[in-house]
Amino acid sequence: MDENLKQIALDNRESIVETWKNEVEKLKSQNYTSTISDELFESTNREFANVIFESINDGGSTKSVELFSEKIINLGWPLSYITDGLQVFRRATIDVILGTTKKVDTDSLSLILTSVDQWVEPIIRQLVNEYSGSWENIVSLQRVALQELSAPLIPVVEGITVMPLIGTIDTERAKLIMENLLDGVIRHNSEVVLIDITGVPVVDTMVAHHIIQAAEAVRLVGAICILSGIRPEIAQTIVNLGIDLEKFPTKNTLEKGFTSALEMTNRKLTDLDTKQHFDIEQLIKSIKGV
Amino acid sequence: MRIPILKLGNYLLISIQMELDDKTAIQFQEDLLQRIHETGATGVVVDLTSVDIIDSFIAKVLGEVVSMSDLMGAKVVLTGIQPAVAITLIDLGIHLQNVQTALDLEQGLMKLHQELGE
Repeated sequence: MDENLKQIALDNRESIVETWKNEVEKLKSQNYTSTISDELFESTNREFANVIFESINDGGSTKSVELFSEKIINLGWPLSYITDGLQVFRRATIDVILGTTKKVDTDSLSLILTSVDQWVEPIIRQLVNEYSGSWENIVSLQRVALQELSAPLIPVVEGITVMPLIGTIDTERAKLIMENLLDGVIRHNSEVVLIDITGVPVVDTMVAHHIIQAAEAVRLVGAICILSGIRPEIAQTIVNLGIDLEKFPTKNTLEKGFTSALEMTNRKLTDLDTKQHFDIEQLIKSIKGV
Repeated sequence: MRIPILKLGNYLLISIQMELDDKTAIQFQEDLLQRIHETGATGVVVDLTSVDIIDSFIAKVLGEVVSMSDLMGAKVVLTGIQPAVAITLIDLGIHLQNVQTALDLEQGLMKLHQELGE
């Protein structure tokens, strides 16, 4: 009986595909795929139908489904296209099969429903799995990328290292920051570490707490921590929240922080060529002289 | 077992290379103060490079040793605290506020030299 049904479905392939395409076309106009060109939509539909029939014919062949899903994921088509399409296919197939059977009683109806379900379910399951697998993959890749970017440590001059922080700091990231900071201090043998928070949008009690802890830990390891890049609104929040940052030096820009770091290591920046240096008064005098 | 205390000019050098238990720590406190008294040392460097674990009691003892030595006129610098140890101490809420620190023995000695102005 099951083989019979399969035969009926395969025999009426054309009409099923026709009904199906019409339904899918209707869905297209109302949502997601409206930006996709008709040609591409048409060819993908044809391929989708072929994949479905192949899968039914082979009793759940997974290879073609896999290839198809890969292609459609790469194209960036929504998952709803697939699930909607398969639901429509299920309905269309049942309609066509019912149309060809003369006598329908409860038993044969339930048999038809079950077997059509058995054809469609594995395809849905596999496609959804492929989709969620690709999403999970992307999420984990991005997490790794984010982690790489989250706490960079740059040795600038001998004994001075800079850690520029960009973006929101949460507990997990704060932990990473502290570990990277301390390891870097030891590795680069730095006397002074600058933490630059120019790119941190919000400094609340939690973030401040983490930064203070990191600075304290740096002091224990034997280096000095300077906090730079404090914007006016951040200064306001810090004082309003009653956070005590007195214990270590703070500067408004990385430049000033760097200058005081140089001072701490008994160095300073000097211009190389002093001859080129013109004073405005000298300039005025020379003009007057002419 | 006792921790050896070495004399280098006006300074005392201590490199802790074993796991500190409570008894050793107390013993060390007594020994160090005794040595400061004997030698009249003005600076002390305690190197913790090979110490992997510091619990709250050891941290308290170390903090006290620093204050006591200070009272006896010897500046103490702790050097080579490992990142993991630093993180644990901060997590425990031990900030060793009045303790001088340096990256390694060399910088610790430099720091003492600068502060004592010798």
